[in-house]
Amino acid sequence: MPGIDALLDHPALWRGRSAAPAANAPVWPSGHPALDRALGGGWPRGQLIELLGAPFGCGETRLLVPMLASCGREGYWIALLAPPATPWLPGWQPLGIPQERVLLIRTEHARDTLWAGEQCLRDPAFGVLLAWLGGPVETALLRRLRLAAAESQACAILYRPPRAAEQPSPAHQRLRWQPATDGLELHCLKGIGDWARSDQTLHIPVP
Amino acid sequence: MAVELPHLALETLARAEADRSRLTERPLLVVEAGAAPRVHATNRAARRAGARPGMALADALAILDTPELVEHDPQAQTAQIAMLAGVLLQFSDHVHPEPEARRILLEVGRSRRLFGGLATLRERVRETLKGLGFHPRIGVARSPAAARLLATLRNPAIPDDSEALRRTLSPVPLEALPLSAATREGLRAIGLRQLGDLLRLARPELARRHGPELLVLLDRLLGRRTETLPRFDPPPELDLSLRLEHEIHATGALAFPLKRLLRQAEAQLRGLNRSLQGMTLELKHREEHTRITPTRITLERGHPGIRAEDWLPLWQTRLEREALPAPVIGLRLRAARLLDPPAQGASLLAETPGHPPADAQLPAVLARLSARLGEQAIVRLTASGIPRPEAAQDARHDLDAAASPPPPTPAQMICGTALWLEDPQPIPPPLHTHGLGRLEDGWWDRGQDVRRDYAVTRDRQGRRLWLYRCLRSGQWFRQGYWG
Repeated sequence: MPGIDALLDHPALWRGRSAAPAANAPVWPSGHPALDRALGGGWPRGQLIELLGAPFGCGETRLLVPMLASCGREGYWIALLAPPATPWLPGWQPLGIPQERVLLIRTEHARDTLWAGEQCLRDPAFGVLLAWLGGPVETALLRRLRLAAAESQACAILYRPPRAAEQPSPAHQRLRWQPATDGLELHCLKGIGDWARSDQTLHIPVP
Repeated sequence: MAVELPHLALETLARAEADRSRLTERPLLVVEAGAAPRVHATNRAARRAGARPGMALADALAILDTPELVEHDPQAQTAQIAMLAGVLLQFSDHVHPEPEARRILLEVGRSRRLFGGLATLRERVRETLKGLGFHPRIGVARSPAAARLLATLRNPAIPDDSEALRRTLSPVPLEALPLSAATREGLRAIGLRQLGDLLRLARPELARRHGPELLVLLDRLLGRRTETLPRFDPPPELDLSLRLEHEIHATGALAFPLKRLLRQAEAQLRGLNRSLQGMTLELKHREEHTRITPTRITLERGHPGIRAEDWLPLWQTRLEREALPAPVIGLRLRAARLLDPPAQGASLLAETPGHPPADAQLPAVLARLSARLGEQAIVRLTASGIPRPEAAQDARHDLDAAASPPPPTPAQMICGTALWLEDPQPIPPPLHTHGLGRLEDGWWDRGQDVRRDYAVTRDRQGRRLWLYRCLRSGQWFRQGYWG
């Protein structure tokens, strides 16, 4: 069946169950070989990723430090939207994240957070966007954010509480994290690639 | 091109005045103060009653029924002329204001092709000034003197070559020329009525009888002798104001007049070849609300630009957050600090995706964010030099590009690489801690020096907490989260 093989190799054809991320899609390295493999090279740029878990401060920010460092090294900006605490930048600096590239945006409502996130994603200066959402949000706003992320070069991370997993979300990928001994356990709820299908839990050591 | 503003005094008044009926219904005189006060300008009601500019004030008061008197303010008029000269810089690089004559001269010979002919250019100048609330008389001719004359006479002709100029000027009565009374009387005595009669006479004879000044005037009128006019040097700041025809009650409706102001600002700045990064908008309220000070809103942007299309959405998002304390009747746009234009185009999102942004530049989106969320929402943290973590970072809200911050101090390095910071919270003593280091600051530090041992521990939920024990009281505090 040479005809079908040629057809299946066509880049315009998208196959639902087996589509793996393109090999040359831009990524930010995650710093963990197992996670890099699972994510298809690293944290993908141009995607909206939800990280579901609680409570704040278990190492879910530290998980992203290699990405933030390489983003800052390349001169892109890092936007922190509505984090529950103040970033301690003298602590970020020794990890390789340039302080002057970190921008903190404080908002009062989730609606403003998502709007600001969308605006940042439309600006090519940003490489990573971290946003914290405490409560439920409108799916339409999330979809706007997803569209903005897909057109951008930035990796957009949304931190959401674990109960948000009950609702469907337009995000490209959804990962659930749980604190474990010396690290985090990551479980893929939604995504493309083998990890989402295999239902495996990854243990990522976080220093 | 000569632009004459015969009603400048009244128009200046009308722009500043909220109440239009006050200016039109009752007779109004603009009075020049002095030993013998004279009428400088009159409104239509006063003219109907017979008052004329130039009258002695006593005569005008005799014929008018309780007119309103306003003192003539030459300084305000000069300022208006300078403002208009700045606006007219968009049509020509050589602008020469003549404030005493309420006139602005423009060298438009080089602009005619750009604007599609002199007639079109004249209409655009007229429209521009009308949009600002002024009604000019415009004369166009090859020489400044002839243009002045045509403007005063409201002659719409555009004489293109010297022959046409001669034809246009011939029927002009000699009374209209700026001549001394003696010369005028002498010319009248030999039976000359029009400029054409004068031009037909032999030049040496004229010079002998009436002096060389008359010849100089004729040569200047016909463009045979050049007249040197200094160029207008505009003031290095932006200050535009606009009086509204109707009151505005909602911020959304401010967009239209604001657009006009921004267009003006863009035109003026384009004329100046300057750019700007921030501006202040003042909203003036109605007279009966004089207790209310004008609302002042400042908008800053990450990088300079003048395009009205870029500024308008920013202002709109900014104004959405504003509630008007009273109806708005006037706008004023100011910018004290003008910058050199950026080397590249002034477009908002000029950078192509995929290239990291320039070092010194802040993302353009910040202006939009701070316009909607407020200036306080955008925070950039910089080191303050104080070792205590809760005071070590200063929040900056301005959009100026900052120099790179100093590296963490050794004391901060010892305190560890926690990622998140909180105000210290007292907690019960933890069980297992991993010590980090000791932080002491000086006794001179505002009398609240601290001695702390920093540590990391893990709570029941698996979080790594950043703690310290105050060595004075022995009390443990939570400072933040490790990540």
